[in-house]
Amino acid sequence: MEGMSYQRFPKVKIRELKDDYAKFELRDTDASVANALRRVMIAEVPTVAIDLVEIEVNSSVLNDEFIAHRLGLIPLTSENAMSMRFSRDCDACDGDGQCEYCSVEFHLNAKCRTDQTLDVTSKDLISADHRVTPVDFGDPAAYDSGDQQRGIIIVKLRRGQELRLRAIARKGIGKDHAKWSPAATVTFMYEPEIHINDEMMENLTLEEKKAWVESSPTKVFDIDPNTGQVVVVDREAYTYDDEVLKKAEAMGKPGLVEIYAKEDSFIFTVESTGAIKASQLVLNAIEVLKQKLDAVRLSEDTVEADDQFGELGAHMRGG
Amino acid sequence: MIHDMLLPFECRQAKISYSGKLMADVEFQYLDANSPVVRERFNFGQFPIMLKSKRCHLQDAGPQKLKSFKEEAAEMGGYFILNGLERVFRSVILPKQNYPMSMVRNSFRDRREGYTDKAVVIRCVRKDQSSVSVKLYYLRNGSARLGFWIQGKEYLLPVGIVLKALVDTNDHEIYENLTSCYGEKYVKEKGAVGSQLVGERAKIILDEVRDLSLFTRFQCLQHIGEHFQPVMDGLRKESYHVVAEAVLRDYICVHLDDNYDKFNLLIFMVQKLFSLIDQTSVPDNPDSLQNQEILLTGHLITVYLKEKLEDWLQKAKKLIQDEIDKESKTFDFFSLAHIKKVMEKIPSKQIGASVETMLKTGRLVTQTGLDLQQRAGYTVQAERLNYLRFLSFFRAVHRGASFAGLRTTSVRKLLPESWGFLCPVHTPDGEPCGLLNHMTSNCRVTSYYDSQGKIRDFSKIRMSILSVLIGVGMMPSLPKLVKSGPPAVLSVLLDGRVVGAIPSSEVEKAVAHLRRLKVSAASLIPDDLEVGYVPLSMGGTYPGLYLFTSPPRFVRPVKNISLPPEESQNIELIGPFEQVFMEIRCPDGGDGGRNNAFPATHEEIHPTGMLSVVANLTPYSDHNQSPRNMYQCQMAKQTMGFSLQAIRFRADQKLYHLQTPQTPIVRTSTYTKYNIDEYPTGTNAIVAVLAYTGYDMEDAMILNKSSVDRGLCHGQIYQTETIDLSTESNKSDRGQRMFKRNKDAKSIHSSIDSDGLPYVGQTIYPGEPFCSIYDKTENKWQTNRRKGSEPVIVDYVAVDMKNNKNLLQKLICLSLLQANIRFRHTRNPIIGDKFSSRHGQKGVCSQLWPDIDMPFSSVTGMRPDLIINPHAFPSRMTIAMLLESIAAKGGSLRGKFMDATPFAKSVKKANGETKSESKSLVDEFGETLKSYGFNYHGVEVLYSGVYGTELTCEIFIGPVYYQRLRHMVSDKFQVRSTGPTDQITRQPIKGRKRGGGIRFGEMERDAMLAHGAAYLLHDRLHTCSDYHIADVCSLCGSILTTTFIQPQRRAVREIGGLPPPRAPKKVICRACQSSKGMETVAMPYVFRYLAAELAAMNIKMTLELSNGAAA
Repeated sequence: MEGMSYQRFPKVKIRELKDDYAKFELRDTDASVANALRRVMIAEVPTVAIDLVEIEVNSSVLNDEFIAHRLGLIPLTSENAMSMRFSRDCDACDGDGQCEYCSVEFHLNAKCRTDQTLDVTSKDLISADHRVTPVDFGDPAAYDSGDQQRGIIIVKLRRGQELRLRAIARKGIGKDHAKWSPAATVTFMYEPEIHINDEMMENLTLEEKKAWVESSPTKVFDIDPNTGQVVVVDREAYTYDDEVLKKAEAMGKPGLVEIYAKEDSFIFTVESTGAIKASQLVLNAIEVLKQKLDAVRLSEDTVEADDQFGELGAHMRGG
Repeated sequence: MIHDMLLPFECRQAKISYSGKLMADVEFQYLDANSPVVRERFNFGQFPIMLKSKRCHLQDAGPQKLKSFKEEAAEMGGYFILNGLERVFRSVILPKQNYPMSMVRNSFRDRREGYTDKAVVIRCVRKDQSSVSVKLYYLRNGSARLGFWIQGKEYLLPVGIVLKALVDTNDHEIYENLTSCYGEKYVKEKGAVGSQLVGERAKIILDEVRDLSLFTRFQCLQHIGEHFQPVMDGLRKESYHVVAEAVLRDYICVHLDDNYDKFNLLIFMVQKLFSLIDQTSVPDNPDSLQNQEILLTGHLITVYLKEKLEDWLQKAKKLIQDEIDKESKTFDFFSLAHIKKVMEKIPSKQIGASVETMLKTGRLVTQTGLDLQQRAGYTVQAERLNYLRFLSFFRAVHRGASFAGLRTTSVRKLLPESWGFLCPVHTPDGEPCGLLNHMTSNCRVTSYYDSQGKIRDFSKIRMSILSVLIGVGMMPSLPKLVKSGPPAVLSVLLDGRVVGAIPSSEVEKAVAHLRRLKVSAASLIPDDLEVGYVPLSMGGTYPGLYLFTSPPRFVRPVKNISLPPEESQNIELIGPFEQVFMEIRCPDGGDGGRNNAFPATHEEIHPTGMLSVVANLTPYSDHNQSPRNMYQCQMAKQTMGFSLQAIRFRADQKLYHLQTPQTPIVRTSTYTKYNIDEYPTGTNAIVAVLAYTGYDMEDAMILNKSSVDRGLCHGQIYQTETIDLSTESNKSDRGQRMFKRNKDAKSIHSSIDSDGLPYVGQTIYPGEPFCSIYDKTENKWQTNRRKGSEPVIVDYVAVDMKNNKNLLQKLICLSLLQANIRFRHTRNPIIGDKFSSRHGQKGVCSQLWPDIDMPFSSVTGMRPDLIINPHAFPSRMTIAMLLESIAAKGGSLRGKFMDATPFAKSVKKANGETKSESKSLVDEFGETLKSYGFNYHGVEVLYSGVYGTELTCEIFIGPVYYQRLRHMVSDKFQVRSTGPTDQITRQPIKGRKRGGGIRFGEMERDAMLAHGAAYLLHDRLHTCSDYHIADVCSLCGSILTTTFIQPQRRAVREIGGLPPPRAPKKVICRACQSSKGMETVAMPYVFRYLAAELAAMNIKMTLELSNGAAA
């Protein structure tokens, strides 16, 4: 074992990148790394979310906890969350969680004075820090007509009802509460490898080919209108549902197609809540992952570390 | 704002009864001369008012007005508010009124010597719904006796005497009438009910009367009067003749006024009895809905009130009589003022109060029993746990409390007669199974009001029915012309009155004609007339044409397809009595094996009409194993849902509330029809069926922690505490106690406001004070502290200002007498909470599993909210749950709600074609899923959240509507390390509330013994229980005679500054007067208690002590 290196050099190829959406390939690594990345993106990349609500006046129909819970779930822009402190180990405020290093204060003050129902939205949350604000979902291009209705509705007020509160947002991770998770969805798929047995395929009639192609719920295969040959249109549309394999079996042609999942190649889809840009989410995740590994490395020589990590510790020492 | 109206919500808050003043005019008239009628108004006290009834402020109020009255927008009423609690009447099944039922019961034999087990019973009901039952028993010698109850005792009279006493008649006429049902030429024919024995029996009946030498009507009346004078109240001084008339009027066939009608009915009953004896007809089943009707609130209250008023009048009469007898100067019988003065001595206001008590307790306080089977259990509290539970209280029908204790189970049986009226699914399992039924969604009950809300004139209705009947060939019973019976002619009974006879050849035509008139709006025939045509049969039910118009009958709508289709109105209301003899087609495709021999005249509107509202809400219930649907009906009623919209104005003791309910994606047509969206009861959860981590074994289920974080199944319990200072102390020092905060007790200022009540929005932890009370007379402060184990939030504080309106000056100094403090418990899902789908699949949350460890789909990235074990399906066969999952998946992809009405396949669409006949449901959903790129069968490939590798099986995943049940660990857990003990035995006390322990009982002990776990046993039953070290005197062997001797303190020895030396404990036996031979022995404390108890009975217990080794 000694001297043998497990080191690999994973490659990332970005396919698509939007503010809240990213799609990329991760190659030359294995499922453990891919899954670790997924797990960290969902649960351990820090963001800022409202954690403490002091309600001064609440005469709305929703009770205090309900409103506090709703406020907590509003995604806040957390670009600087990585550099913020967790309030539990903030020295400036003794873990009080109310200082500028670990918290951001919000104010909300709304009262309905007309007969029309007033929607209190995330737009009404006034932040003390311009870097931490409720996420703006308004896509100006798409939602131009409905001008005022853009934020996330917190509560609706009728005439005379009032909501006044102070909220404190803190840094946290999704493991503790889902409101700190920056990811709406993170998933990866194994890149499929599809081999069509051309010889067998040639023996099929056009009807049979059509039926076979149709058997897949997603459009993976198609028939070339010119040559009449079955071709793979979209490899990645394959969902590993084995429908085509079953169909081939049912047609009495087992082995018509062979599909494998590549063990070292993954296609990631990342959707962000808007708290962090999707690209940043991936980078932060790698950063967090590195920190976690550092934590392991720092305790390398201790006996406890060997107890805890065993072979992994040795592996890390060996590099 | 103070208004004069007392509104229901105020009653709920103030814990008072919603009632109004009952005033009644009492009419006075002197019999002599033509003295005028004088009316005097009397106050009969406060009478409870049903919500939304004619006397209710909410009557005819629309949603807007209801909201302004702080009620639900969809308030239905129908219940009472008594002491702030909502109570509903529990409807009870009664025997069908005015229908002679033949019965066979062993208990009839025990009436007297010579009685058989056969009788014909009729429950006669007057116009005001008060009833008297009459039984006609058959005697072994061929005669019959008429039995009726007077003041808790049954009196039996020979029928002959009654027949003769009723009308002026002769033996020949009675004989002719009795034997009219027998015709020699028909003996073996279908539908013949008589036999040659009828004549013999008629002779015996007449001979009996003659043997008593009673020949004329007058003699019979004298005979009856003589025997009944002692028992007839208030008629002691009247002549025999008058007494006999009263007996006949008040106890025999009371639904009829005319003696000729009574005579005819008795003749009919005797004929039916003879037919039962001759086995030409079968006994009627009293447990079948065919022979039953329902007891309603209003009717019971009417009957109860009538009795109370009669009592009052009787008392008044007695008092006046006493005054007259006294012949005092101060009383003048001819002065109304005097009479009124006497009458006012009887407390009239108690009458309203007695009705209120009846509704409060559900208990009838009555001498006569009101001809009802049970005395208690008529009302129950209407719990607003969720809408479905509340609704079910109004649809529930109980068979009667007397049947609950019965060991026979025949009454609980589901009989085919109840089809369409009582739901076969919606009955609880366990103790009340089959006794507590629920009406189907289509079923209703007839009332005194017609569909336009106008009071019915029954005499008019009966007249028009009679004229129709005569029009179609009925021969009226007066004048008596018909001397014939079945099968040639059939008797026609209209509301228990023999109105005539109709040739059996004409009946069918007549029935069809009546049904046509029923449906048509123009005729005077009511649409809920029950045309009970019992056809001729070979020894079946006694034939005849029985018509019923009277109120509390079940009816349900069906389509009459024998009518020409161009008539738009073809929905007919039918009753359970007639439905047995009708041909009703159910659109299930089959004809029930009837092979066109009996063409259907009617058709069910929809097959789901056989189900109750709650049962109708189960999606695809036709695909489930039937007991699962029953479980769902029960669980739907224990679900935490959106309980009330006016929750702010409520002061219910406990209310469960779901924070973010959803509308189900898969729903039945009933869901839309009943607007359940106003009160939803669950959440659409993404459910994966898979065995993951083992935490989903045995009906446990795994919840996704992140889903719970985001608000899945979050809920609250609202709990109101009412502090009433006026009742807590006695009335004398009323107003001396008030809510006030002690200025000096600074520690409570954080949780209690200056008015002595808590701040709204304040969190209160267990043991903290939440309200402060000051007692003026004793100058004492008292704080009420929170019990329980969880922190609560003050949701609302309401004080009652109205109650002490008369003490205006008190208002100024803010002395409030009553406060409602509503607390809010947050109840978010935790391990141990109970959940259920809509298919009787309940489970307990075993873990809140981290989102990242949940399996995920590589295509959508979706993680399930909930994981259940696949073993939940094979034995339970809840196929509908799988269908729901697949349908909801398709529905959410399409963005459409899915219709899951059961039996939808067998129902024709409006255009006549059946819905997608060739395709099965699954095929339909499969195609949808496939078109959206999902697997045809609803399965997906998932990846382990922990390893990121593929789970090597296909996993069934989709949205299922999940309900959160009200059973939560927070209310149930019981732990104790140490705590309170019982005073006598020093063992831990029981009871969760008091911090007691869980009993380690005999069976547990046996198990320990069987395992040889002696140390554990010793620990449980001794060390952790009532461990005690006793001093035993080894000389006399007693443990009771030993006492401590307190060493005398000698002042001399005391040296200042030094603590006194601890005196050695000295134990002495009082019996032996010595401290020698004292030993300490460890024993359970109860042992000492036993010794003491035995000593009290003069039994001495002696302990012989020895060393362990020497034993």
